[in-house]
Amino acid sequence: MATATPSSRTADRERADRIYFTLAALLGGIVIVYFACVPLLGGNLAFHFYLMLWITMASGFNVSSGFSGYMPFGYVAFYGVGAFTTAILVKKVGMPVLATLPLAGLAGLILALLFAPTLRLSGIYFAIVSLALAAICRLVITNMPETITGGSFGLQLGSHAEPVLSFYVMMVVMLVALGTILWLSRSRLGKALRAVRDDAEAADMMGINIARVRLQGWLIAAFFPAVCGGVEAWYTNVVDTETAFNTLITAKTVIYAVAGGLGTVTGPVVGAIAMVWLDELIWRRFPLLNLLILGLATVLLVLFLPRGIVGTVLRWRPGWRRFVP
Amino acid sequence: MSKLDVDGLVKRFGGLVALDGVAFAAAPGEVLGIIGVNGAGKTTLMNCICGIYRPDAGTIHLDGAVVTGMAPHDIATRGVGRTFQVPRVFRRMSLIDNLLVPVLKRRAPDRTLIEAAEAMLERMRLIDLRHNFAEELSGGQQKLLEMARMLMPEPKVVMLDEPFAGVHPTLCRFMIEQIEAMAAAHTTVLLISHDLTSIYRLSSRVLALNQGRVIADGGVDAIRGNPAVIEAYLGS
Amino acid sequence: MEILVLNGIVNGLVVGGVYALIGMSLTLLYGVLRVVNFAHGEMVIGGSFLAYVLFHAAGIPPLLALPVAAVSFFALGYVAYYLLIPRLARSDDPESMSFLMMYGVSIALAALMLLLFEADSRSIDYTFNPISMKIGPVYVSTARVVALAITIVVSAAVGLFLFATLPGKALRAAIMNREAIQIMGVDIVRLSAFAFALATGLAGITGVLVALVFPAFNAFSGPEYSIIGFIVIVLGGLGNPIGALLAGVAYGLVEQLATVFLPQALAQIVGFGLLVAVILFRNAGFMRWRVGR
Repeated sequence: MATATPSSRTADRERADRIYFTLAALLGGIVIVYFACVPLLGGNLAFHFYLMLWITMASGFNVSSGFSGYMPFGYVAFYGVGAFTTAILVKKVGMPVLATLPLAGLAGLILALLFAPTLRLSGIYFAIVSLALAAICRLVITNMPETITGGSFGLQLGSHAEPVLSFYVMMVVMLVALGTILWLSRSRLGKALRAVRDDAEAADMMGINIARVRLQGWLIAAFFPAVCGGVEAWYTNVVDTETAFNTLITAKTVIYAVAGGLGTVTGPVVGAIAMVWLDELIWRRFPLLNLLILGLATVLLVLFLPRGIVGTVLRWRPGWRRFVP
Repeated sequence: MSKLDVDGLVKRFGGLVALDGVAFAAAPGEVLGIIGVNGAGKTTLMNCICGIYRPDAGTIHLDGAVVTGMAPHDIATRGVGRTFQVPRVFRRMSLIDNLLVPVLKRRAPDRTLIEAAEAMLERMRLIDLRHNFAEELSGGQQKLLEMARMLMPEPKVVMLDEPFAGVHPTLCRFMIEQIEAMAAAHTTVLLISHDLTSIYRLSSRVLALNQGRVIADGGVDAIRGNPAVIEAYLGS
Repeated sequence: MEILVLNGIVNGLVVGGVYALIGMSLTLLYGVLRVVNFAHGEMVIGGSFLAYVLFHAAGIPPLLALPVAAVSFFALGYVAYYLLIPRLARSDDPESMSFLMMYGVSIALAALMLLLFEADSRSIDYTFNPISMKIGPVYVSTARVVALAITIVVSAAVGLFLFATLPGKALRAAIMNREAIQIMGVDIVRLSAFAFALATGLAGITGVLVALVFPAFNAFSGPEYSIIGFIVIVLGGLGNPIGALLAGVAYGLVEQLATVFLPQALAQIVGFGLLVAVILFRNAGFMRWRVGR
């Protein structure tokens, strides 16, 4: 490696950046073309819609767990609140669906601000509290008057279903999420978050305002699942507490993100693609075993691939860390 | 005017008085050695100065301004840097990124900061490892990385907590040169150690702590012959 | 009203006893292994299903199912420990990863029970004779009285074991300082395996009691018990078995009394809110607060 002079170091850095951005553009381009073609060529709309949804969810989760070091086991709360925000605004207020999606994201942000005091906890305490808060959200919405939330039947969005349009909106949401995380991973905020993740007290003594940085990371992580909830409500045309707050949504998000590898932009994307595809395969062959295999896959992942697919590759090839987004 | 001014500092943990009215001042370019047996209050003093502990009484001035009770990141921004007894590097970040952490708030463009970080790594002889994760370094290299990270924002006051503990003699010599360079650049250096040889070599002045109190403050020769210090070290 | 309150107290003691057993097992596991067992609820429900099968397929009454559940779950726990736990230590963040892994175990166990018993709620049609007893002015089902007696005996046995026997003292020492005890020549792996097996065995017993005390259970009842277990161990102080015992009983009392005055859902919210509040304002909270302000 040419390290002798500052100018050769600059050249080396510029080369690495070129490779990094070329790779990012190439992968982004493939993703855009691939998903854009699905409705045009009559592909499996539902499968690809959910693939994009899980990529977005896993990527958002990664901001919290991979960058900031928090494992929110109640991640579904943001999703559920986003779903209900969209459903209520469409059904009870009569807003157009598209206009409700930013508000669903806003609801996620507000919820994240309410949960912000939990950021002073760490590790297992944070995980348990997050779980309990998600349960509280579900119970509160379940017990709201039926005229607002539709009770156990849920809310039907009625004649607003537009599968293809909502597909493309989901695609935009995914691209915005990936773009945000690509930016984050190179930004100063991203470096500050990683420093806080590795040693918060030391980061504090290095001039990082850890409370502010954590909150910023937390808000980014909360925004995307809430929008996902809104888009999914639109796509399926119905929202109820059983599905919108199902703990399996957290489970899948966590597992997909961990499978790919936390802390990189590509990790959760690779993980979601691999696992959603596997899930579909299993679902088709052995519908009854689906849940069992999901559980076993989690255990095996933690035991044998704790750094995930991308994380393990980068462990073997540390030099690639500079090139892989 | 002195850079760092500590007066009447008291810190209690429950019934234990860790610092009991510590007072001293340190001038720019001075290497102030702080000695004392385990539990004398050396690290507690450091934690109070950089804001990790809030003192129960007393004041800390930096350049004439009170910093007592400020958050650690505000104190750091005002020019206080430190290292730790056991290195605390950002494990899963590259060496370059480790050095960028203390200067993230600077307005300078990224490129300028990265080049400064590379220059600093070159000075610390870590340049070839700049893209490695910090967790991949040896213990001695982590100590150098900490020192580099501390120096990145050009601090006015630096505090070194047992920099020579468990360090190879060659590396030890290199670190001593670095500390001398810091003093030559008019940085106030607080050097904590219970290894008296290195302190005597580097410091112009030594502060001896025992049970949270300053029992001696003076030149190396005065400290060496001070009966209170000898008693604290050897026991009665 | 007074009858209702008295009823609430009696039921609170019964239910609290079950929670106390769950809490003691979880706190032992966390204390010795630093593993928060998300799958504990499923293990408990597994015990309930075992009692169900023993009764409906072989006519074995729940009281005789107790020792069967204890022994078989103890053995399963021993095996599960060596399959799951030792590898975990190598990961970057063992505590969070163990939580995630036990999350996976919980999903897998629930799915397994779903495959074997389907989604319907089950209950054991076993009745004691007489079917209920009068304690003071309130009637309590005999099953609940028996369950309370069993919880008292089991928790006393566990307490006696922890405080009066050598292996029990080793376990408590391991909770206090995992590193030091290894220097003292205790084989921490064997001790951990034993703790895991003990906690699983207790889950089996708890499961039989759940079948006696609660009207029904199904494959998805597990998480409810796990979360109550988390509340209990946090209230009692992580790694403190006696604290967990007291917190379990207290939580059972509060829950049952709350259902007298509040709608069920609200009572649940109060429970979760209690958990959040306790963690935020007591455990670790203040320590982190200084740094995180």
